[in-house]
Amino acid sequence: MTPGLIHALGVVPLSWGLVVLSLLFLAILFARMRQLQRERDILLQEKDVIFGFVHDVGEVFVDADHIDLDHLLKRVLFYAQRTTHAGAGAIYLLEPDGESLRARAAAGIFPPLVGEVESGLEHALSKSQHVETLIKTRVVSKGEGLIGAVADFGAPILIEDAEPDPRVPHYDEDFLKIKTLLLVPMRFHQKTIGVMCVVNRVDGKPFILSDLNLLQSLADQASVSVHYAGFRETLDEKKRIDHDLSVARRIQTALLPKEIPRVDSVELAAFNYPALEIGGDYYDFVHVDDTHLGIAIADVSGKGIGGAIMMSVCRSILRAQAPGNLSPAQVLKSLNRVVCQDITEDMFVCMLYMILNTSTRELVVARAGHERPILSSGERGDFTIINSPGIAIGISEIETFESALEEATLQLRPGDVVVAYTDGITEAMNAQNEEWGIENFLDAVRVAAEEGANSVLNNVRQRLTRFVGNRAQYDDMTLLALRVMR
Amino acid sequence: MRECVITREQKDHLDILHLDGSLDAYSFPKLESALNELRETKRHHVILDCASLDYISSAALGALIGFARRSREQKGDLKLARLSPKIFNIVELLGFHKILDIFSDIDQAIRKFA
Repeated sequence: MTPGLIHALGVVPLSWGLVVLSLLFLAILFARMRQLQRERDILLQEKDVIFGFVHDVGEVFVDADHIDLDHLLKRVLFYAQRTTHAGAGAIYLLEPDGESLRARAAAGIFPPLVGEVESGLEHALSKSQHVETLIKTRVVSKGEGLIGAVADFGAPILIEDAEPDPRVPHYDEDFLKIKTLLLVPMRFHQKTIGVMCVVNRVDGKPFILSDLNLLQSLADQASVSVHYAGFRETLDEKKRIDHDLSVARRIQTALLPKEIPRVDSVELAAFNYPALEIGGDYYDFVHVDDTHLGIAIADVSGKGIGGAIMMSVCRSILRAQAPGNLSPAQVLKSLNRVVCQDITEDMFVCMLYMILNTSTRELVVARAGHERPILSSGERGDFTIINSPGIAIGISEIETFESALEEATLQLRPGDVVVAYTDGITEAMNAQNEEWGIENFLDAVRVAAEEGANSVLNNVRQRLTRFVGNRAQYDDMTLLALRVMR
Repeated sequence: MRECVITREQKDHLDILHLDGSLDAYSFPKLESALNELRETKRHHVILDCASLDYISSAALGALIGFARRSREQKGDLKLARLSPKIFNIVELLGFHKILDIFSDIDQAIRKFA
């Protein structure tokens, strides 16, 4: 071999090796570059997400101090979905009892995390609507399921791969399948006020820690506004109730007689104190015929506008039925028959209806669940509680009502006083939460009975006012008194 | 007024709810949700043990009649047991003793269900 050949042979493998090496280096370099490019893209994407997030947070609160809670929650949820690329989401808020949670907002088809979906799903007109109704009506207790756990512990839960997780419900329907799941608490002053949850990323990837962090930041920001919006909502509700009550009070006042009728040799007196929370008391005097006066006192169990309307219905029926009808039980039966059809379940009316014969002074009493009237006998100075059986109007079967109702007939003598009242009087409370009670009431009547109906009225009023002091009363107080003059 | 504490005791197809405290407009929703829960799980035979019940508003009594009526529609009933004289007086005044089944002890109420 010539030295030149040896040289050539030595050089060739060396240069080939160099080529391979540099190719390899280039390949690695290229791969590394691609990787860096990818990382840069991801970082840019994340930067977009963060910028988007910061923008979104701004959007959420741009006018948060005067939009209502439902709109605010809808908006928060929209941005929560956008930030985490979630397919669906829901916001649960803690109820005022602090023990249960209710979904106040839902977006996309948010699969129920507690409870069932079976009932009615196949027949539902819109499946998403059906599922939304399901989750909005199902109350979740604190500690129950994933939502309850987040509310209870105040810590977020991230489940990247939800399908094998035993805490996550499994649905056969594709649109309800939960693949990945993220729940964060909404907190205000270290107190959990709700839970925000999102499910299934639209790109099919699992939620990751950075999604959790973003969602938690959004939730933390939103919680302040949500808290105040909830506060405003309570205030608005209170204003609505106040308005409701003032309307009810006006109806009620309009129903009471403007003046007390004048009857020969009978003294009549009445007062009505409407309570803070309107109670639904009513009294009336009706012209039955030239020698008969109808006297009614009633108490509707329902409060507010519902109670006031019921009262006005009863008044109209009574005034239509009373003229010419000398049997108070018959009038109450007719009234019950009509009211039965209109009254809402659970509401009822206690009514006492008495007919006084103004020439013979015979008093016929029918009592439909109302407080029993009192007879203070002038001559002997003793007390009788006039008891006649009967059931409150509008709550029983018609037959039950009619077979239970019986009249009591009394012959009043000069000096006799009859007093009828509603339970607001005997159940009036003082600041020490003590009830005035029937004994105090009877005492007040007894002392003044000899002086006449107006005297009874004034004495009861005085003693009652002294007893309750400044304590606000929650039930109407109504009193009627009649006295046969000597 | 004391809140109402409700303890549920299950005896075969019967549910006895022991009520301890007061039932007014503010505390009634608690009993209401307990009764609704029984109804949802198709348990319509209920006895309310009122031995430790201090007070019940007339509106709450009216609502109980609604529950009794709905239970009866399902061949069940809501019966009251062990009412204090004070509470029985309210029930009687309203005439509700003609609508609701009332017993002086729980065994009697249970026997009536059998």
